[in-house]
Amino acid sequence: MGLLAILRKLKSSPDKELRILLLGLDNAGKTTLLKTLASEDIAHITPTQGFNIKSVQSEGFRLNVWDIGGQRKIRPYWRNYFENTDVLIYVIDSADRKRLEETGQELEELLSEVALAGVPLLIYANKQDLLHAAPASEIATGLGLHTIKDRPWQIQACSATAGEGIKDGMEWISKTVKKK
Amino acid sequence: MAPKGDEILQGFKVYPLLFLCNRSTNWLNLRDADSGRILWQGNEDLSLPDCEHEARVPKKILQCRAVSREINFSSVQPMDKFRLEQKVLFKGRCLEEWFFDFGFVIPHSTNTWQSVIEAAPESQMMPAAVLSGNIVIETKFYNGDDLVSTSKVRLYYV
Repeated sequence: MGLLAILRKLKSSPDKELRILLLGLDNAGKTTLLKTLASEDIAHITPTQGFNIKSVQSEGFRLNVWDIGGQRKIRPYWRNYFENTDVLIYVIDSADRKRLEETGQELEELLSEVALAGVPLLIYANKQDLLHAAPASEIATGLGLHTIKDRPWQIQACSATAGEGIKDGMEWISKTVKKK
Repeated sequence: MAPKGDEILQGFKVYPLLFLCNRSTNWLNLRDADSGRILWQGNEDLSLPDCEHEARVPKKILQCRAVSREINFSSVQPMDKFRLEQKVLFKGRCLEEWFFDFGFVIPHSTNTWQSVIEAAPESQMMPAAVLSGNIVIETKFYNGDDLVSTSKVRLYYV
């Protein structure tokens, strides 16, 4: 399912423009996920030193996906991109167990941001193809996702490189946005 | 004090990519948005002012259901009100335009913006021979009201 297909599904939502913000630690797979959505080659992806935006337009309806670099030195700039966000996608490298705590802290900070209050949250537990990947349920418990009461949220296991699970997450987004 | 347009231009690059060299690079490309395959990628400094660039694009791009245009740019300076205007001109007449607000640009960053648009129905599509050499993609970057850079790429369908 490409971005145009997602856009077609979203057309019945009330807004003419939808903004999706893609965040997560460096090396979580945000850019790979975005490229996988567009069926693009993922062989030569390098750390994002700024942002990557995909804008899709169809019959006057627009979808903008913002992928912002996740390196520690870039994270302080994330807040510049919060405004008008309709959906937050947070990507986690499920095999990077050493940094699960760090990613949890970053997520917690995001959820306390006023500019992102009430914004639906989709968490991709990425890299499920790797042997040591933590299952989505374990990550959900570790991050205390069940305590989130102020917004719709969903955790979705996926492998961006294999293209698995991505579609299910996008389906959740289109359902959630329509309900708004 | 916020940097002025010319100061920003000095640290602003939209030049390309030697595709084979293993460095971080800047470029503009056109893709078949269904397959994600690159059909053309620029390899000149596209931010040079007053200079029109030429792209020789395979004719089959006109049969694509959707085409994407992707532009990669770097900026040394931070910017607050960064935006672009992209127009597709046929013999100087605007066929399609995009306005996009980036807002903040991170200092010392390299960024990409990709726009995907569905093609006109085949019945409304002008033939390659008519379009070739008459289509220009014009991209203007602004910080607020200051013009930072203009790039023009003339398309030839081969």
